[in-house]
Amino acid sequence: MKGLVAKPPWPGSAAAAGLASCHVCDRVAPVAERHCPRCGAHLHTRKKESIQRTMALLVASMIAYVPANMMPIMVVEQLGGGTEANTIIGGVITFWEMHAYPVAITIFVASVIIPILKMIALLWLCAAAGGWVRIDGRRLTRIYWLTEVVGRWSMVDVFVVAVMVTLIQLGNLMVIHPGPAALAFAGVVVLTMLAAMSFEPRLLWDRAKAGRKQLRKAREGEE
Amino acid sequence: MSGGAGCGNGDEVKHLEAWPRVEREQLAVCHFCDALHEAPAVEEGTAVVCSNCGSALYRNQPASLDRAVAFGMAALLLMVVAQGFPFISLSANGMVSGMTLTGASLSLAREGSHLLAAGVAFCTMIAPSALAAGLVYVCLPLRWGKAWPGARGVALWLYRLEPWAMVEVFFLGAVVSLLKLVKLADVSIGVAFWALGAVMFCLAAAIAGIDRRELWDRLEVALQK
Repeated sequence: MKGLVAKPPWPGSAAAAGLASCHVCDRVAPVAERHCPRCGAHLHTRKKESIQRTMALLVASMIAYVPANMMPIMVVEQLGGGTEANTIIGGVITFWEMHAYPVAITIFVASVIIPILKMIALLWLCAAAGGWVRIDGRRLTRIYWLTEVVGRWSMVDVFVVAVMVTLIQLGNLMVIHPGPAALAFAGVVVLTMLAAMSFEPRLLWDRAKAGRKQLRKAREGEE
Repeated sequence: MSGGAGCGNGDEVKHLEAWPRVEREQLAVCHFCDALHEAPAVEEGTAVVCSNCGSALYRNQPASLDRAVAFGMAALLLMVVAQGFPFISLSANGMVSGMTLTGASLSLAREGSHLLAAGVAFCTMIAPSALAAGLVYVCLPLRWGKAWPGARGVALWLYRLEPWAMVEVFFLGAVVSLLKLVKLADVSIGVAFWALGAVMFCLAAAIAGIDRRELWDRLEVALQK
């Protein structure tokens, strides 16, 4: 596909011109109209209370992450009455010891690495948007894009539980039940997805612009 | 054909046309950095990118409506196949157990995890089916420049539903489960497994087939008639 770099009609952000683009249909309209003239969705230049909402959802997901890892995600009932409770990490270790490396790595990446990295990334983005951390808008935008795209893949473990519980119903030979961690972990994924959705990446650019302005003012002051 | 100076050119223009719009002069705002841009009509196969941060603003996909409708319909039909046929079955020591796609949510509900069952059903069946059906409902009449009743509302919900359709994630989950189960029992893969794999491909192709700006521009033209 050919690339074409769009031309700005005049320099500056849409917000500075009193314009907003609709989140649903991409149409650009004056913010004063409040609702998109084309699709009727609510118009806003910046998502409302974005940092607070993202942080609240993020904290909730961190809290849910504790039972998701401490409690069993699957309970295996063996022939002869023995029951065995599997946590997420326990499952990864079992598969590693069984030399099932691809399965172990997939579960480890989807259930441990991705959620933790996503939480750190969102925390960092919030800190940058709030002005507590120095920022490079372009790089942070890429991080934000990654958190949005990769986050959903964590749901893999929940689906694995659904498939295993359904299939392993072999009478009195072996039965698998879902553990409380399955719901907790699904909660973690949904909460981090919602947190990423309520984050406003344009705050990063506002910050970068404000920083540049301040620098210019400081230089003018020196002269 | 190709030798003619005038007529070859004419064919090309027809093939590479830009989609219809209500307003010729449009603006585009980057969703990431809020930079304001002119949004010219571009020919098929061109992507327009932000001058500030480089993210894509919009693109003109070739044969966009045909792609959205064809892949959307294929996804819907294959979804029916994926529901009606066995997904995976396994046998161990003479005992056989099988599962269907709906069975996965139902067995979670039977175990008492109703919320989890509803979530799994929504992400693997309801959202993907609604997404494919909605896309076809909006895009099919647009091929003749028309809009069916409620098309605006359908399109509005289409893009809100998109992140929650997780067919591809479920498919990976099924593959991981298979790798786990191979050591325990004889596993056989059913028709629904391959059907769901095809749903995954078709749904992604249908959504990527048409840019949301194009869909809404065309819908706006159709609604004004």
